[in-house]
Amino acid sequence: MSETKALESMIGEEYKYGFTTDVEYEDFPKGLNEDIVRLISEKKDEPEWMTEFRLKAYRSWLEMEEPSWFNATYEKPKFDTLQYYSAPKNKPKLDSLDDVDPKIRETYEKLGIPLDEQKMLAGVAVDAVFDSVSIFTTFKEKLAEAGVIFCSISEAVKNHPDLVKKYMGSVVPVRDNFYAALNSAVFSDGSFCYVPKDTICPMELSTYFRINNMNSGQFERTLIIAEENSHVSYLEGCTAPMYDEHQLHAAVVELVALDNAEIKYSTIQNWYSGDEDGKGGIYNFVTKRGACRGKNSKISWTQLETGSAVTLKYPSVILQGDNSVGEFFSVAVTNKRQQADTGTKMIHIGKNTKSTIISKGISAGNSNNSYRGEVKISKKADNARNYSQCDSMLIGQTCGAHTFPYIESANPTGKIEHEATTSRVGEDQIFYLQQRGISEDDAISLIVNGFCKEVLKELPMEFAVEANKLLGIKLEGSVG
Amino acid sequence: MLELKDLHAEVEGEGIEILKGVNLTITKGEIHAIMGPNGSGKSTLAKVVAGHPQYEVTKGDILFNGESILEMDPDERAHAGIFLAFQYPVEVPGVTNTTLLRESYNTIAASRGREELDPLEFDDYIREKLDLVEMNPEFLERSVNAGFSGGEKKRNEIFQMAVLQPSLSLLDETDSGLDIDALRVVSDGINKLHGEDDGVVLITHYQRLLNYIIPDHVHVMIAGRIVKSGGKELALELEEKGYDWLESLATVNGEAK
Amino acid sequence: MAHPTRIEPSVLHELAMNRPVSKDRLWTGIAEEGMLTLNSNEFPDRKIEEWKFTNLKELKRTDFVHLDKAGVSPATDIEKYFLPESDRSRLVFVNGYFEEKYSSIGGLGKGVTVGNLAKYAGDEAVKEYLNRLVNYDNDVFTAYNNLMFDDGAYIHLEKGAKAEAPIQILNIYTDSEQPYIASPRMLVIAEEDSDLTIIEDHIGLSDNRYLTIPVCEVKVKQRAHIHHVRIQRDSLDAFHLSRPITYVEKNSEYHSYTITLGAKLSRNEPRVIQEDEEVDFTLDGLVLIDGDQVADTHSVMDHRFSHATSHQLHKVVVNGSAHSIFNGKIFVRKDAQKIDSFQENRNLLLSIDGLVNTKPQLEIFADDVLCSHGATIGQLDPEEVFYLQSRGMTEEKAKEVLTYAFALETIENVKVDSVHKLLIEEVYRYTKANSKPKVPA
Repeated sequence: MSETKALESMIGEEYKYGFTTDVEYEDFPKGLNEDIVRLISEKKDEPEWMTEFRLKAYRSWLEMEEPSWFNATYEKPKFDTLQYYSAPKNKPKLDSLDDVDPKIRETYEKLGIPLDEQKMLAGVAVDAVFDSVSIFTTFKEKLAEAGVIFCSISEAVKNHPDLVKKYMGSVVPVRDNFYAALNSAVFSDGSFCYVPKDTICPMELSTYFRINNMNSGQFERTLIIAEENSHVSYLEGCTAPMYDEHQLHAAVVELVALDNAEIKYSTIQNWYSGDEDGKGGIYNFVTKRGACRGKNSKISWTQLETGSAVTLKYPSVILQGDNSVGEFFSVAVTNKRQQADTGTKMIHIGKNTKSTIISKGISAGNSNNSYRGEVKISKKADNARNYSQCDSMLIGQTCGAHTFPYIESANPTGKIEHEATTSRVGEDQIFYLQQRGISEDDAISLIVNGFCKEVLKELPMEFAVEANKLLGIKLEGSVG
Repeated sequence: MLELKDLHAEVEGEGIEILKGVNLTITKGEIHAIMGPNGSGKSTLAKVVAGHPQYEVTKGDILFNGESILEMDPDERAHAGIFLAFQYPVEVPGVTNTTLLRESYNTIAASRGREELDPLEFDDYIREKLDLVEMNPEFLERSVNAGFSGGEKKRNEIFQMAVLQPSLSLLDETDSGLDIDALRVVSDGINKLHGEDDGVVLITHYQRLLNYIIPDHVHVMIAGRIVKSGGKELALELEEKGYDWLESLATVNGEAK
Repeated sequence: MAHPTRIEPSVLHELAMNRPVSKDRLWTGIAEEGMLTLNSNEFPDRKIEEWKFTNLKELKRTDFVHLDKAGVSPATDIEKYFLPESDRSRLVFVNGYFEEKYSSIGGLGKGVTVGNLAKYAGDEAVKEYLNRLVNYDNDVFTAYNNLMFDDGAYIHLEKGAKAEAPIQILNIYTDSEQPYIASPRMLVIAEEDSDLTIIEDHIGLSDNRYLTIPVCEVKVKQRAHIHHVRIQRDSLDAFHLSRPITYVEKNSEYHSYTITLGAKLSRNEPRVIQEDEEVDFTLDGLVLIDGDQVADTHSVMDHRFSHATSHQLHKVVVNGSAHSIFNGKIFVRKDAQKIDSFQENRNLLLSIDGLVNTKPQLEIFADDVLCSHGATIGQLDPEEVFYLQSRGMTEEKAKEVLTYAFALETIENVKVDSVHKLLIEEVYRYTKANSKPKVPA
């Protein structure tokens, strides 16, 4: 049907970020063993405790089995031929933009992320991660004035060891799962953010991840700590070149919110998704979890997932503090042969905790899109509340939409409401809009956009534009 | 401006003929009423003119301003100036009225070589139109028809008509679901919008609406054909006698049901 | 027989190996299939996704013995369970064995056959369908039933036949010195244009421990209608693992209502499989549990063809330290368009120690469908309680009334008067006893 074609052209738009940057890489052996783990640590000039952390994780990983419970089938990564560390040879000192390899600077320009502060979006600080290493962090001084630490995790290990020691692995333990253990052993770089007490972070923080090297896995690690009465909004964006081989991306993100603190974490994930036949594309196996440790704290995840060949990702919130709030807003679009198994966990432990889940899945082509979520009200979580809404939209007859919500309550004062629907873009809706003069393509755009609206409005203003571009949809303008 | 010539149409793929040779001519500045019992094909006629994909024209032609529009998509017909006020307006969750109307207005404007309005200008423009149907401005920011009552949906259709300024308006059972006050407001709106350059087709089951909007011509449709045409007094006659006395006209050729 | 895979043997295996031999055994082929499955599959544990929330440890540890060694008491005073409507359409099974003296058949009119399977073993329909409808891959419990059953209930309606009265299949479990396992079996074939109502009742006469594994196969042919009520009132120390599976043909209807009241642990796995277009089916459930009861429902509604309407309303009330588990799967296969499927799971959790797990699950592979599910867990709405209190009721009474109303919705559609009344009484008894949250001693 033509409506299908129109939508496919809309969401299946040619991948624009598939170019490769020609840079020289440092040599690094392939495969994984204790020596490699030590070598990574050595390359990064890490203190002994960090090396031990990695080795412990590596040993745990060896004992663990690769999971297979999710709704996706794919060729398993070959862990022994992967390269676990990949850094451009011309490594900058991270303090002057002039030291950044011009080719890499150019890459970010091409991606629409200029690293030059003058050219940047005002009010957004960027940490640019290229393959395994943080290339440059902007607006560092301005943030420092407010007391906010925003740097690469490698720098944090050196300059803020107490904070890293205290919090790293405290939300996602080393043994949490197969990929988290692997990440803990070999993580290359990532972002670190610390917002001190009574501080509102003066600008949006952002990390832009770029996988370039064909043979390397990317294992970044992000740690964000919001002290009492603080607030921070953080966004990550992801792209990768088009290669025929699958590339592995196994990140760990940990968030900690103390009393009255709020963390908003947004993701626009547009890794290369592979071609029509499922050749190539990123394996996006990510562990993201936030702990609402303090009372009245709040953690909010917003994600727009459009890329990757296979996505397994469940950004979660552990609601420990009384009155804490967890939110999850997600749009996941799959097309071609993409497979996404994504959702969230909301674990209610504290009293009067609240969580909201809004998930919108759109499946087209030969793709499979699954929502998998867990909501748990534990025995002590008096008056905990959850509301979940999971809607799926199917376009075409060769795709699948799946909903797997796990819901548990062990407290009679708790209340959980879950709703899910599956529907299609209706012929009557399209005709109605066409009758008002809107073309079929635009009508479908409008309908899909309307379907995702509750989620898109959660994205920070600065990124809403990118999000809409990504969906290939004209979003409603500034009125209203 | 609109000319239907021996128009035959059926539900696509099902082979059930619903329109069995409709002939009708509407000239600029006229108001026509098409009346008839349920299932006579009135609503189908409106949808076929607007180009609903569910129906297939098997014979005859639709001329708009002298040109056949059979090959045109629904949006192209809208650009040409045809507006259908739906009997059952469709809900479009998440898309606000304003968004829909601005998209509509600007695409239609562009296709006619008029200037598009920026969001602020557009906002001023539609607020004027709101008064015409006494609609609350908050409706602008609500999703199209979602959660609207039956009457609100109908009012919203006429509001859209006011904004888009079509040259031919097909109003399908616009009076159903309206209470007497709302009917008066909607009718006043339609009367105000109607001018000497545009045509209006009222499709209705009851005579009630015609107390407020006086038609120039009344047609009776039964079993897929227009069986009788006359002036406004025909509506009163129908009100009094019902449709039964006309049924025999529908089966003249012995072929229709 | 193929070489059994090396698996850890369970009590089921032991009993199966020592099955009492009888010369003129029927269905040895089915028994062999059962043996094969049993020998190549582990006893399920919580590592398996499908058994994640249901712990079978206690069942596994129980030393079940064969019925003849269990020291079972006779069935006494069971007439009170006979339905007046089924005066001449009743089959009674005691501990899984047919009891002719309590049964009464013949009042059903032309074209309706009701009797014990062994008697009709030569019937074409029995030969064609028995064990051919079962579709529980690698399930050791179904396998065990296959291996052990040598009789069961058989219902056959010829083309156009209408059963004039509801058919009662009464399963009685008696007291015993040792725990035993019963393997009730049921085969229901409704030919074209036929119509019948089945009341399947499972009753434990005492509070002893036993395990019952009812396997029920139903085929609803074109334009046939079946109304199937299943009541589970087992002993509070019993295990009840039921596998009712139904195939629906073109233009047929199957409506099933399962009421779970008894058993220490029950696991109900109803499945409805669509075999052609234009069908309508219902898979409703009501679970009222208390004490340390565990009630688990794992259902499947499998839409394989276009134009189906299906509904599932599963309501649960949990008190004491009881635990309810629900996993309702709705599948819509590729090319099964125009499916309208609705599933709702509502849980009322009354006590501090109760636990509810629910996992409604949609798996959709066709685009022109309207499928939705909803699940809620909560307590009674305080506003509603307050409203009734403001009208003069005590808090306790208000809660009782509201719980009663909550539970009643699911049994409204039960068509047989005496059963409807019986269920209302059961609901009333439960809500009366559970109007206060219970804390176990």
